[in-house]
Amino acid sequence: MGGKGTQEDIEVWLAEGYVTSFRTACLILGNRADAEEAVQEAFLRAWRFRTSLAPGSDVRPWLYRVVVNTCNSKLRSEIPHRDRRTGDGDLDRLAAPGDGPAHVEQSGDLVRALQSLAVHLRVVIVLRYYADLSEREIATAIGRRPGTVKSRLHEARRLLAMHPALRSVDDLAGPTDSEVAE
Amino acid sequence: MTMIDEGPLRTLIAEAADEFPVTEGAVDRIAAAASGGNPTTGSVRTIVPHGRWGRAALVAAAVVIVAGGVTLLDGTPGTSPDHGTVAGPSTPAIGVPGAVPSTTVPSGSTMPFANQGPVGTAASSAGAGQPANGATSAQPAPGQNGGPSLPAPLPTGIVGQPTKVATTGSIDLALGHNPLDPAVTRLTTIATGAGGYVAKSALQVGPSTGTVPSSGTLVLQVPQAAFASVLTQVRSIGTVTSMTSTSTDVSGQYVDLQARIDALQASRLQYLTILSKATSIGDILSVQNQLDTIQSQIEQLQGQLNLLDSQTTYATLTVLLSQSGHRPPPPTATPSGLGRAWHQSVSGFTSGVEWLVRIAGRTLFVLLCLAVLGVAGRWAWRAWRRQML
Repeated sequence: MGGKGTQEDIEVWLAEGYVTSFRTACLILGNRADAEEAVQEAFLRAWRFRTSLAPGSDVRPWLYRVVVNTCNSKLRSEIPHRDRRTGDGDLDRLAAPGDGPAHVEQSGDLVRALQSLAVHLRVVIVLRYYADLSEREIATAIGRRPGTVKSRLHEARRLLAMHPALRSVDDLAGPTDSEVAE
Repeated sequence: MTMIDEGPLRTLIAEAADEFPVTEGAVDRIAAAASGGNPTTGSVRTIVPHGRWGRAALVAAAVVIVAGGVTLLDGTPGTSPDHGTVAGPSTPAIGVPGAVPSTTVPSGSTMPFANQGPVGTAASSAGAGQPANGATSAQPAPGQNGGPSLPAPLPTGIVGQPTKVATTGSIDLALGHNPLDPAVTRLTTIATGAGGYVAKSALQVGPSTGTVPSSGTLVLQVPQAAFASVLTQVRSIGTVTSMTSTSTDVSGQYVDLQARIDALQASRLQYLTILSKATSIGDILSVQNQLDTIQSQIEQLQGQLNLLDSQTTYATLTVLLSQSGHRPPPPTATPSGLGRAWHQSVSGFTSGVEWLVRIAGRTLFVLLCLAVLGVAGRWAWRAWRRQML
């Protein structure tokens, strides 16, 4: 992703970043409709304020920052005040045990486990392992220091490993801390 | 404690994300909406921050601006409102015709003699015919025998007249255990030697000294021009515990009296002319009556003029002598040129440090306020940016 200012640029942004951004928002919000709305809003905001991006800087973390902030705004202001049944439906569809292939059940478990995390931990996990941002890029995206990102990632992985929905998933358990130390 | 492996977690998250299908046409809707909007400039600052040097330069500039502002508010170094600052709209050079120095002293403050300027050069900012307020200075000077400023030549006054200045002074001398009589004798000698005289003398006998006087008051009348030198000699007699000097410019009053006398004399001459031409007894008596009135007024004004003359010709110095004062410390020797320069440099350094300490409080306060504002502004800015993006 790069460039800014022309119609082609926004099309490049969308072509390269919409799907990832949308699914990132889905994983953060756990709801397709909210994610779609958030990403649309985020892209329009980013396009409107595209001149605020410093020349020569990378668009990707900046765009993710806009997306994350929009998701946070929705989680803070809109979603808590409305019926969550739509979101639960999405999760039910993903996580219904025995209703589909094993990887679908695992996906549902993962999304459920992600939703159990605090938002700030969920965001760093999704940005790191789905959007494939480096820790430094995540730091730029969430406006924190790389050390904070690292500790949040550690904490999120630890909590995910303890989550009951993911304990049944094979091959997820990594080495213990003592093993890592060794 | 275990953690989830990164590889499987990455795979699982990717699979979970793939389960969210992308809505058809969503990208086109965004592109269409974006194509209709112009970029908003100036609303959001650059997210990627400036370099550290840029920030440091901004902070340094802010500190310089604050320090400069505080300095301007505080005034220049060495100027303090606590020191009877000589101030006035203008201070023209002494001796220039028509130029009279203007010197004011804040009420309730004292002004050292060293800062007073020429003794006997009265302050007056008034125009022709306007009497001026006098300038008063007082200085408690325990244990100091430094010489006062020598008088400068009297400035030429208004309308071509020499400036008429009435000077009075008072000085308290502590003689310690020295007897009073030699001091009185020496004061008399000083007064007569300068062309003046002792106008009043009063000596008191203290309870502890028997019949020997222990304190006294002498009023010396000395010529104006010799006032400063007399003051210097008087100060050498004992320890100065306080000193006051008042100079009043009476030039305007003097000129006014002279003008009124001249006018009355002109009227008197006219009445005399009329009197010489009068033929009837009634006319003669009437004119004579007017002449008497005018003559009386002339004599009255002339008396005031003579009094002013006397006051401006002779300065009055009241000397209070006392044996009860403490013995002063030995006077320090006048430093040599190098020593004086060293003392001046130390004094200048001390003044500079005092100035720094004085403005440091305000500067720190302003910087603290700016820091609080900066933190609050940064917090608000981040909150707003989170809201906007």
